[in-house]
Amino acid sequence: MLNIDKIRADFNILGKKGEKTPIYLDSACMSLKPNSVVDAMNDYYFNYPACSGRSSHKLGDKVTKKVSETRKLVAEFINAESEKEIIFTRNTTEGINLLANSLGLVKGDIVLISDKEHNSNLIPWLRLRDKMGIIVKIIPSNEDGSFNLNNFSELISGVKLVSIVHTSNLDGVTNPIKEIVEIAHKNNALVFVDAAQSIPHQKINVIDLDVDFLAFSGHKMLGPTGTGVFYGKYKLLEKLEPFLVGGDTVSSSTYDSYEMFPPPEKFEAGLQNYAGIIGLGEAVKYLSQFDYKEIKEHELKLNTYITTELQKIPEIKIIGPKDAKDRAGIINFYIENTDMHKFAIMLDEMANIEIRSGRHCVHSYFENKKIYNSARISLYLYNTMTEAEAFITNLNKIIKIL
Amino acid sequence: MPCLIALIVFGIMGIFSASHRALAKEAFSCVFKRVTFRPCDTGFQEKVKGKILSSLINRSTFLARMVNKHYEILSWIFFILMFGSTVWVLYGGYNYYVYGSCNGLNASGFCAFDPSGENNKVTALGDGTTCGITQKSEKNVTLDGVVLSSFPIQKTTSKDTVVFIGCYACDYSRKAYPDILKLIKNKNANYIFAHYPAKGDTTFLAEAGYCVNKIYGDKFWDFNNYLFSADKNYVLDKLNLDKILGNFNFDVKTVNACANSSETKTAVENQIKELNKTNMYGTPTIFINSKAFVGPKPYRVYQSAINKYIFF
Repeated sequence: MLNIDKIRADFNILGKKGEKTPIYLDSACMSLKPNSVVDAMNDYYFNYPACSGRSSHKLGDKVTKKVSETRKLVAEFINAESEKEIIFTRNTTEGINLLANSLGLVKGDIVLISDKEHNSNLIPWLRLRDKMGIIVKIIPSNEDGSFNLNNFSELISGVKLVSIVHTSNLDGVTNPIKEIVEIAHKNNALVFVDAAQSIPHQKINVIDLDVDFLAFSGHKMLGPTGTGVFYGKYKLLEKLEPFLVGGDTVSSSTYDSYEMFPPPEKFEAGLQNYAGIIGLGEAVKYLSQFDYKEIKEHELKLNTYITTELQKIPEIKIIGPKDAKDRAGIINFYIENTDMHKFAIMLDEMANIEIRSGRHCVHSYFENKKIYNSARISLYLYNTMTEAEAFITNLNKIIKIL
Repeated sequence: MPCLIALIVFGIMGIFSASHRALAKEAFSCVFKRVTFRPCDTGFQEKVKGKILSSLINRSTFLARMVNKHYEILSWIFFILMFGSTVWVLYGGYNYYVYGSCNGLNASGFCAFDPSGENNKVTALGDGTTCGITQKSEKNVTLDGVVLSSFPIQKTTSKDTVVFIGCYACDYSRKAYPDILKLIKNKNANYIFAHYPAKGDTTFLAEAGYCVNKIYGDKFWDFNNYLFSADKNYVLDKLNLDKILGNFNFDVKTVNACANSSETKTAVENQIKELNKTNMYGTPTIFINSKAFVGPKPYRVYQSAINKYIFF
């Protein structure tokens, strides 16, 4: 069982007692950072702020070693076959853009996505549609937001790439990636998985899932902002053409030729965010000490309580499945004809409760469903039942004045 | 509507604070969208509303509910009140600039720009001893039907005329006097001086002045300037009058004989009677082109009364 008090003591912002301690329920947007992550980054800046992979002095060697260690840690974390399959990016969005611009899609190629994709897994494909004439097809979900394998199976024929979210930031539904991959591969389609929301909460095993590509961000999994990972099967990465080139992507160049490095270097153009990468390594280490099953159980307990209480309020509608166990750590709700920004602001002002309001970068879903916006609570391992109760108490106060 | 209020409020606060400047920018963006017939989708309105409601909800759920329900109407009410008070403040500022009082010409109510009411203080007529604010309507203070031909006059070609009714013993008259001299000089206006013995026994000075004017003509003005600028206690001491007259090389005997004559006493009494017809209630009372200014106003007030367009 998770020792929440001990976990909270690892987070400077939560360790302080008193009124100013926030009740942070917005981890799907940005997780808090344990002190070890911040310390590791500070250590880089204070003690060895040099380049990796270029300079042969002691400081440079140390950075190179630390970056390599992180790459290895991440590879082990997602069970990749080799650290060469790990490409450091700024975030998931950059990973998806890397794929979209490197895969060599041509006019008529079909990309299949779900109807609940984050803009980062929608816009790159729509842009390619407008620019190059690829075809973007949408898989309709079930009414409760769960994945419809039949709809998927009907659309898979002729698809070049399935680009799909693992756990939706909209409703917390986790898609059956293993089945999706199986069907896709049978139809000669590649599969990319957006694991930004899943990797902080569940064990990802890329070999077991058999995904071709996968991307996630560091900032949602206790890591620093501006860090992310793009994973690809090595044989596929070799075939991809990098869309950003320049420093540290080539082994040599003349005035009219160049020779690219093999992956992952060929995709990591320019000087990297070394402090961030080192911080990401610390986040992976920190997360690795926990049993994901326990994290999931803890989040489910809180989600079940909040869901039950919200369901007592007739005006409130929860986006996605009714059952908390089908929504990971996410509870996204709205009230008809009500701007939910007000809720978020009031909770913040009244009790330092930080939640997210708006359309959560899934504008397409809200436009389609004619919902103005929603308020989203997203839980993580450092949240407590007391915080969940405080949220419900204050929410009820707000409901009373509507 | 809330955006517009926020724009004004945060705009003013933004002069002093960078954080409010950012809010003012948000409010402006919202207002701009509304005036271009687009929805204000910046979330600014909800942000402001949320902050207001959250501060109310812990005090009174009922109040918070009412505010939430009638937010738009309340916003309109606040806007109207704010607009009204802004107009009122601007009007007060205008009055202060033009009349020296926020409340209008010679009105002695509280004015934030002149909290002690200095610009309206007079030496009240009546008991002859009271100094300070005397609140009376200035509406009836007028030169209509008042004959000023017996008073000292400086004529020019100007169409502007300044009548100064003051008392040598009154601090407020002494305060206003230099500004009036400056005004006369700068605007080349016609100038009539009248002494009104509002405080203490100053009639002997009025009688002496009457005679100096009668005998020596324009030399009266130097004598008059001296009486307003010299030490008050010295001037008001009857024993010093001969010395003062002598200093101006006036024939002391002749002036005294004139001042003590029944003809002069009657003339001075008649002058007071004429001044009383103005309904004046204190000194100084200054008429600029027949408009009465009671109390020592700032120089700009006198100047703007003559200026064609207030400022020039």
